[in-house]
Amino acid sequence: MPAQANANVVALQLEKVRDKVPLLYERDDILLTMIQQRGDVEKVSSRNMRLPLQINPGGKAGSYNADGGDLGRGSGTSYDVAQVSPIFFRFAIEITKLVEYATTGRERAIENATKREVANGMKQFRAFLDKLMQTAGNGVLGTINSIASTTFTMAVPSGAALVYPGQTIQIYDTTLTTNRNVAASVTTTVLSADPINAQTITVDNVPAGTVATDVIVHDGLTGAQPVSLFGIKYHQNNATTGTWLNLNRATYPVQLQTPRVNAGNAALTPSNVRLAINKVRKSLGINHISKLIAYMAVEQEHAWENLGITVSQIIKEGGASDGNDLDLLFSGRKTMSGIPIKSSVNADQTRVDFLDLAHWGRAVLKDIDFYEVNGNTVFPIYGASGGLAASYIFYFDTAFQVWDDSPRTGAFIDTLARPSGYKTAVTGDW
Amino acid sequence: MRQRGNRRGTIYRAPTQPFARRVSTRRHDHVTPQILVLRETHETPENVARRLERAGGINRFGEPNYRAVWGWNRLAWIGGKFAEHDPATGSLLREVVELRQEPKYPAVNRWHIERWLPPEVYGSPSAWYAQTIERENGVSIPALGPYPSRGEYEHCFTLEGPRGEFMQLTPTNAEHIARAIEFSRHVSRSRKRSSIDDRERREDRAYDEWAYDKLDDAVPAFRKQPFVTVARGNDW
Repeated sequence: MPAQANANVVALQLEKVRDKVPLLYERDDILLTMIQQRGDVEKVSSRNMRLPLQINPGGKAGSYNADGGDLGRGSGTSYDVAQVSPIFFRFAIEITKLVEYATTGRERAIENATKREVANGMKQFRAFLDKLMQTAGNGVLGTINSIASTTFTMAVPSGAALVYPGQTIQIYDTTLTTNRNVAASVTTTVLSADPINAQTITVDNVPAGTVATDVIVHDGLTGAQPVSLFGIKYHQNNATTGTWLNLNRATYPVQLQTPRVNAGNAALTPSNVRLAINKVRKSLGINHISKLIAYMAVEQEHAWENLGITVSQIIKEGGASDGNDLDLLFSGRKTMSGIPIKSSVNADQTRVDFLDLAHWGRAVLKDIDFYEVNGNTVFPIYGASGGLAASYIFYFDTAFQVWDDSPRTGAFIDTLARPSGYKTAVTGDW
Repeated sequence: MRQRGNRRGTIYRAPTQPFARRVSTRRHDHVTPQILVLRETHETPENVARRLERAGGINRFGEPNYRAVWGWNRLAWIGGKFAEHDPATGSLLREVVELRQEPKYPAVNRWHIERWLPPEVYGSPSAWYAQTIERENGVSIPALGPYPSRGEYEHCFTLEGPRGEFMQLTPTNAEHIARAIEFSRHVSRSRKRSSIDDRERREDRAYDEWAYDKLDDAVPAFRKQPFVTVARGNDW
């Protein structure tokens, strides 16, 4: 009988926790998982999923002459079809042989080590996908503002918020045409990131030709104009050129445009919020905003608190601790002009998005699970020599795309100033 | 001058028939008419207004800094092009460019606490119009109405339970909220920020703990260690 290898034990432990993986992934505390898999389109094939959209209403209204007048012809509703195709995402986790030695083969110790890797890996994978949800569908995680040796200072709004230490990234030119890493045949890994103060990223290798204004994209994207997860800035967009879910924005400049309020680099005010909400009410009907959420970065939540018209987080924390009737008031939702707030550390720091999640959905080709080949979920690593390396690898993988069947249902405020105390990398001031 | 006492609300009812019913002898026409409540309004009780004034003081115009309003009573200007839809089919009926007064908050059947903000919060009148003027069909219209030269009351809090259930307005609730907001106003910005950061860290830790607990559910009880229950001496 062959000796028990650590990979066998790790595989056994992965099988034990396998049914917990979707549970850990789908917890709806981040925007990505607040967007539900929709029953009507939940499972899609590798072909494009088609979303029929009512573009223009039908019928001809008017008065007529009942004394023999011509009533005229009619018209019907016009439709077009938006299309989405899922993107495959993976998250690779390696366990070194050291785990086996450190845990001396005891099952509980290995169980704990595996559990830790699964929990940490899933947390990191969710964070990665949630960061992609903040992007414009091209995988751009940030723009380089200046370069000092191997340190990039990143431009706000994204700053250094959308990367994490240890992440493999790629650098493209500003037009997303030239992949600097491919051209220079180097891999770039983030060594450290400071998304709070300096908005800097330090990397191990800077590919030749990298300049300020270049952009950083995630690993796995290839070619010019790469396509990634269609995030908030893809769907909530007031552009009238380009494409949206395979439709030409220029063909439907009004129908595909999300109402925008330009804050002009000023601080958030109640009138910005009312303008944005009212734009939705005017296009959809006065009483059709009950499902909106106000999605924003913690910086803008702070800016809203600074206006002095809301109960601050400090009070809410105190109030929720004991259970009398008054304190219940403060354990409820924080709102922005009556719209529930959902804040995130990953969201654009200069933007507030009003989202009606009833119109958003996820087209899923493959649910989250361990990547599996012939029943195996743990795979050996090979060294440069072709021999075995002293580590094992397993993956989470999923395939999906995010869609929004009514871009006019939302609104957004952009170019907001950040409250004082947050360093702006562009100008370097506080 | 403020009205005295607790005024009862006003209920605006829709007609039960949009057009006069024609006389009919058919039996099914003699059904009980249904009343559809379109708009229910309530005035703020005097005792609540007094308590709010005591908690938040008065502004430069001698008006209270805080007030409680019923959602249907709180109207605000909305200007621009309105799309009107058929309630039955959702299809677009017409588009109208106008300035209207409509309920300011989405929760129309709830009490709201508002705080007065001075006009300077809204910038200068020229900045106000520069930002809010919308042009539709050749008509310029201020999307938020005229400049709030006497300031404006803004939403602070909707009285409802954690699951969105109705909560009655009482002087104690209203005062408690106003005092909490006043307290918040005097907390330093850095403390407010660190409090939000702390919440994020707490939520992060909560996910970790929850995830570990969930993964623990996947392993056998007592981690497959044999166990027996042992009676304790004379306790029986």
